Amino acid sequence: MIRYMILQNVLHRPLRTFITAIAVAVEVTLVIMVVGLTTGLLQDYAKRTEGIGADVMVQPPSSSLFMNFGGAPMPVSIADKLQRLDYVQAVSPVLISLNSVAALENIFGIDPESFRAVSGGFVFYSGHELQGPNDILVDDIYAKGKNVKVGQTLHILAHDFHVAGIVEHGKSARLFVLLSTLQEMTGAHDKASIFLIKCDRSNHAAAVAEEAKQLLPGYEVRQPKDLMALMTSSNVPYLGTFINVMISIAVIVGFLVTFLSMYTTVIERTREIGVLKSLGASKSYIVRIILSETTLLCLVGSVAGVGLSFALRAIIHNLHPSLPIQITYAWTVRAGLIAIAGGLLGSCYPAWIASRKDPVEALAYE
Amino acid sequence: MANATRIFPSSEVLTLARERALEPILKTENLWKVYRSGKLEVAALRGVNMEVFPGEFVSIMGPSGCGKSTMLHVIGGLAQATRGRVLLDGNDLTTMTDAARTLLRRHKVGFVFQKFNLLPTLDAYHNIALAQHIHGNGFDPHRFEVVANLLGLSGRLTHKPSELSGGEQQRVALARAIVSEPKIVLADEPTGNLDTKSSEAVLDLLRQLNKDLGQTIVMITHNPDAAAYGNRVLHMRDGQVVDGSTVH
Repeated sequence: MIRYMILQNVLHRPLRTFITAIAVAVEVTLVIMVVGLTTGLLQDYAKRTEGIGADVMVQPPSSSLFMNFGGAPMPVSIADKLQRLDYVQAVSPVLISLNSVAALENIFGIDPESFRAVSGGFVFYSGHELQGPNDILVDDIYAKGKNVKVGQTLHILAHDFHVAGIVEHGKSARLFVLLSTLQEMTGAHDKASIFLIKCDRSNHAAAVAEEAKQLLPGYEVRQPKDLMALMTSSNVPYLGTFINVMISIAVIVGFLVTFLSMYTTVIERTREIGVLKSLGASKSYIVRIILSETTLLCLVGSVAGVGLSFALRAIIHNLHPSLPIQITYAWTVRAGLIAIAGGLLGSCYPAWIASRKDPVEALAYE
Repeated sequence: MANATRIFPSSEVLTLARERALEPILKTENLWKVYRSGKLEVAALRGVNMEVFPGEFVSIMGPSGCGKSTMLHVIGGLAQATRGRVLLDGNDLTTMTDAARTLLRRHKVGFVFQKFNLLPTLDAYHNIALAQHIHGNGFDPHRFEVVANLLGLSGRLTHKPSELSGGEQQRVALARAIVSEPKIVLADEPTGNLDTKSSEAVLDLLRQLNKDLGQTIVMITHNPDAAAYGNRVLHMRDGQVVDGSTVH
């Protein structure tokens, strides 16, 4: 009976229902998208770094998990020292530069031969290897997003590059140029940002990492396979705070909208509340009606929000293929629960007001 | 309406009523209700003494502002008395908490209002069933059917209040009031919003409920013709029951 009554109330005021549900949907979408985008970027970064194929990475002391924030302070000659370590099959120095025009993209300056030895080489969709100093390779996602074709000119870092080939994505960066070219462009002669090491057998990675640490005390030595676990919001400074702030804003929006909606409903239905009281409905019965109605609105909004998030992800993926958004089951449920909690919090006061209404005054309400 | 009425002194009426049952179902003793607004005090009830016995149909008449509705609210447990006592089926409403009066309304009182007060979002069926649901003993299809048939609502149960005439809406309200078998039905100007024909139909139903089911009814009205449907009429003036009894 109570469920039927709530359903009829919700259907009786379609505009109010629609607006409240949409507000909750936006709240849920905001949570899912913020978390999905940050998680997606982190996980995509980790996956792409792992996808290079290196077993060990050496970075300068105190460098970030993010390779592009490390600068280029290491002499390339370190590669020779690393090459002499036990179990090391190949070492490839990489210079990393950040292209911040129109997008944030890493550009890898690579030595094609050693990079091939470490990574197993590129899978070419079209074109050929880096040959001339102005050649550039782009991955398929970048090519699709920017509509890049082999042979065309790309203006990056105030330099005109000739697109030599389009390669399969998954080797960390989306743009690759010759190491010497990038060193020249950035003034980092004989310098590298990172050394990628390939071991003769992958189960020697830990031993090689230990050797590298002893050889280069203070340097950051990491195994790419550990990156997935390290790439969480808690390991990235302020990211957790950012996510919490965004979720809080979403909850406040949901709280205010639900509060306003249910408060208006209670005022509108004053006489009906009086009737329920005259029939002997208790305060808890009336509170239950208001809170159940809120829960229903929030559930509808949450489902719509999840749908909206998937739709938005599809649109963003279409417009910006390189922007990964990871929507997880756990976070869709969590976002729905957050919305319901915010909504219930927002409807507590209206429910309390409704339960305390004087039945005689309520029945006289026009 | 009500041509065949006889006037008795009130003592004779009470004697007749007492013959049917020893204990009144409703009794007020020196009942006061004072409204306060700042320093201003307005006494709506000024020491009302009355008794209603099981199976009676009592009409309460009086001019506007004499305290009729206030009395109905107080004896129905919707409002708290300022002084005096209200005994409903042996329960003293004046000493009860708000929650206890809510329980008492749920189990012992059925209200019928002038403006019908049906829930606009529910159809007639659910408006009536709602009372059973709040009552808490679950839906009783047999009782529901008896009441719906008695009030001639069987063909109108799927209609919402906005799709029903005034008379039909009041019949639904009446059904809602009696479906949970209350000890007493309190009707506040039940024909105040109805045309003559619908008024007669509703009053006939009230009388039928009283006669056939033995339903105790207290009805407030300012219409003497409507009041005559009751088997006793109480007159109120200035917050007091002053006199008068009519018995069929």
